[in-house]
Amino acid sequence: MVESTTPASGGTGPESGEPLLRTVDLTRHFRLGGFRSKNILHAVDSLSMTIGEREIVAVVGESGSGKTTVARLLTMIYPPTRGTIYYRGRAVNHLHSRRDILWYRGEVPLVFQDPYSAMNPVFRVSHGVMRSLKLHRPELDRAGRQREAQRVFDTVGLSPDMLAKFPYEMSGGQRQRVGFAQALAVQPRLILADEPVSMLDVSIRAGILNMMARLREEEGVSLLYITHDLASARYVADRIIVMYAGHQVESGPADAVLSQPRHPYTQLLLSAAPDPREEPVDIPADSGEPPRVINPAEGCRFRQRCPLAIEECARVTPRLSPVEPGHDVACHVASADVEANRPPRLAFSVKMSSAASSATAPRASGATRPAGGIRHD
Amino acid sequence: MTDPLLEVKDLTVDYQAEYADVRAVDHVSLSVAAGEFLGVVGESGCGKSTLLFAIAQLLSPPAVLIGGSVKFTGKDMVRLTEVELRHMRWRDYAVVMQSAMNALNPMKSVAAQFADAIRAHSKMTAKEIRNRSAEVLRLVGIDPAHLDSYPHQLSGGMRQRAMIAMALLFTPQLVLMDEPTSALDVVAQRALMRQIKELQVQLGFAVIFVTHDMSVVSHYSDRVMVMYAGQTAEVGGTRRMFANPLHPYTRGLMDAFPSIRGARRELTGIPGSPPDLGHLPSGCRFMPRCPDAMPDCVIRSPEMYAVDGAEVRCLLYDGQAHEGRIGETA
Amino acid sequence: MAIPAIGSNSALSGAGVSAPSTSVRVRFLRTLFSSKKATAGLVILLVISFVAAFPGLLTHDDPNAAIYGIEQGPSLQHLLGTTLVGQDVFSQLVYGTRLTLVIVVVVSVIATVLSMIIGITAAYLGGLADRSLSLLTDIFLIIPTLPLLIVLAFYLPSGVSTMILVLCLTSWAFQARQLRSQGLSLRSRDFLASARVRGERPLYIILVEIVPTMTSLLAASFLGVAVYVVGFAAGLQFLGLGNSSELTWGTLLYQAQANDALISGNVWWELSPGLAVALLGAGFALLNYAFDEIGNPALRPARRRRDRSAS
Repeated sequence: MVESTTPASGGTGPESGEPLLRTVDLTRHFRLGGFRSKNILHAVDSLSMTIGEREIVAVVGESGSGKTTVARLLTMIYPPTRGTIYYRGRAVNHLHSRRDILWYRGEVPLVFQDPYSAMNPVFRVSHGVMRSLKLHRPELDRAGRQREAQRVFDTVGLSPDMLAKFPYEMSGGQRQRVGFAQALAVQPRLILADEPVSMLDVSIRAGILNMMARLREEEGVSLLYITHDLASARYVADRIIVMYAGHQVESGPADAVLSQPRHPYTQLLLSAAPDPREEPVDIPADSGEPPRVINPAEGCRFRQRCPLAIEECARVTPRLSPVEPGHDVACHVASADVEANRPPRLAFSVKMSSAASSATAPRASGATRPAGGIRHD
Repeated sequence: MTDPLLEVKDLTVDYQAEYADVRAVDHVSLSVAAGEFLGVVGESGCGKSTLLFAIAQLLSPPAVLIGGSVKFTGKDMVRLTEVELRHMRWRDYAVVMQSAMNALNPMKSVAAQFADAIRAHSKMTAKEIRNRSAEVLRLVGIDPAHLDSYPHQLSGGMRQRAMIAMALLFTPQLVLMDEPTSALDVVAQRALMRQIKELQVQLGFAVIFVTHDMSVVSHYSDRVMVMYAGQTAEVGGTRRMFANPLHPYTRGLMDAFPSIRGARRELTGIPGSPPDLGHLPSGCRFMPRCPDAMPDCVIRSPEMYAVDGAEVRCLLYDGQAHEGRIGETA
Repeated sequence: MAIPAIGSNSALSGAGVSAPSTSVRVRFLRTLFSSKKATAGLVILLVISFVAAFPGLLTHDDPNAAIYGIEQGPSLQHLLGTTLVGQDVFSQLVYGTRLTLVIVVVVSVIATVLSMIIGITAAYLGGLADRSLSLLTDIFLIIPTLPLLIVLAFYLPSGVSTMILVLCLTSWAFQARQLRSQGLSLRSRDFLASARVRGERPLYIILVEIVPTMTSLLAASFLGVAVYVVGFAAGLQFLGLGNSSELTWGTLLYQAQANDALISGNVWWELSPGLAVALLGAGFALLNYAFDEIGNPALRPARRRRDRSAS
């Protein structure tokens, strides 16, 4: 079984040392209210992150965190205001020629959040897969395309005879699998999944999450998993990036971030994440909501909700700095604790554990299938 | 033993489609005591929302109430006239919708909508209306200055809380909620649930809370009812159910949660999907997906069996099934 | 307070309730034929189409032969009487059907296609393109139709081609707005973004992804325009802006009116084309209503459900 690589060890491939996807200072602003308006919405500010080969990176944040904008930037729905996106070492923000654009889209497809709106209701579900094959796999003839369509359906756990069905005949979970099949049809290196399970029932999510892990192992694709749910991010991701109000506030290996959350916002998310098996952890009633970042001043955007905020937080925007190798936090208080070699202060009550204890059980490998021999939904 | 506040018996709802009727709610019974928080949990399509609307007498074609009774404060709501129902609505019971944006009028301010609701069900002067509106907003933690805001000017969490405030205008005895937190982020969700629980304790109303996400009610409900394919699968006290789920479906639902803390383990979810309500399998409806299915499950439909203060619809708990099996097969 | 009704079938789709095994098309046709309005409209249109296609089957008389007695009233030989110059009114009516129908259909098709292209393109492209196209649409909407029609028809050579041109120009704008609205509502549907993200070109998206989802709206558009065109074509010709040598119901009306048919008591000469126009319009209108009902079940008249055994 292939171990996933961390960015520290560099991506595999001809561009040695170069990760699969790298963003540098990725920024996107929107002008609100017309040409002359001075109100600029800062959806994403200075996001620098990497995704390596055979890796699942989760971007976790609530609405308004900028995670959806990140997905849109990476699929080139609009260009960044500032910053660069490097894919396999090549800058892709300003691709113009049809050939280049088609190349990129054939390597980095997107899976949508809403299975009920992501497929055209007048066509059979094979339509998207067939079109993807036609556009991106010109070497295939008709029979070849048919075979490929069956293959990708099988990979996602759907039987080939479902190709002829219409979307309304399928459940939400099945439709979402079709979405992944469409993405696989182009033989991608990186699949962008925008909240792929948020609209599915909880009992169906496991199947899709397992499938995502299996895609990483068996097909060798990387995934960018955008979600607001920390628990599923923990289950399926190798690394987690936490976003708040357009900023990246913490990133690192999934186990490290969740067992030793250093940013107060990560701690808040963790304490609010429901776990029915445990007693509820109390969060402050007045915990507020993520702000809409319009014409922001310098300073940490979480400070209004942060019990540990110090004077510096209002003056200086915290930058990402390591608290451990590979584990970065953008927080003055956390960085100060690291410098002074102090144990970390907690903004919200959360159980810190050592990374080792929670990593002993096997992560989702997708290698086993559930008992009963029943085909997935 | 005081009478329950709400007693639903054998409620049955059909969707009358062009060529066949589909039974969305099949002889469901439940009861809610005064001040009790009942969670109704199930996957999409299990009938939980239909059940809620049926209790509130808000069904419209093609959904039709076929049978059963809904006794609320002693009166059977199914048999009441529209006039009598209107008198009860909002004063004795209220409904909170799934998405505030669907239920709130985007063209009217919050104050105007509260005023509409108040005027529809009582006579108060404009000043009284204003005061009461401000009061309920304060109850849910919204600054009354927002009375003159429009729904789109409020954040998602605030909109949902405004919906709850509207439901509390007359401090009803029972509040029915249909997935009010599903559109919210996890922190807002947690804050809202906490708020609802606080209000419930403070004002003493009962709550029926419909959701597909068990974890949302796990810390706040007194009892939980799990629904599957239009029927009740299990009913019982919350803590006990989470500690020891009886029905294989309940167990499957709980195992579908990736844990945020503690050891990681392989999640399996529940393979397959809920049955087509138009073509139900013979015997137990959950049997095709059940890891504990017995041969009997194909033939016999289980009833609700009492186990230790809870009730479960599963042949595993039918005394008979364990002793001499009827029609025993190898 | 608006309370959403639990009536839609979306509640069922999540449960994996599969649709009945009959296809969408069969169910649509079944619903169509069960509607009284649809049946009536369809019958009218079919009958008129038949008359247009096979006029010789209904009458032996040459419509232009002015050989009969002048201004005779209805009789067995001349069901609707004769004209001032001795032509058989009935055969004029029958032979005039074809050109009338041709005008209506051609204009409706062109207008619908035009409104579809402009409306959907405006919705899909958005921004400056949308603003320009919408401005164009609004200009054509604001111009008062009848005066424009009259002015144009007056200056251009009279005849069928002018009629068609002039009617096309003035009947596309309203539908374009409707189709643009529908197109806008589709923008938020992910399947369009999905097509874009997989690399489809904008023209492909408009023609293959958007248009097929709007077929019922386009059909309804077509029918709506047809109702309008029937009336305005006849109206223009009635005002004398058509070419009298081309035989249509409108020119028939014009001839009758110009020759004081009503005053001289030859009522059927004028009344029959008028009624025919009204009937054609009604046929399209009824079918249009039926389409609305299919699209929106809330509009369907409450029907007693036949007792059906469980299927």
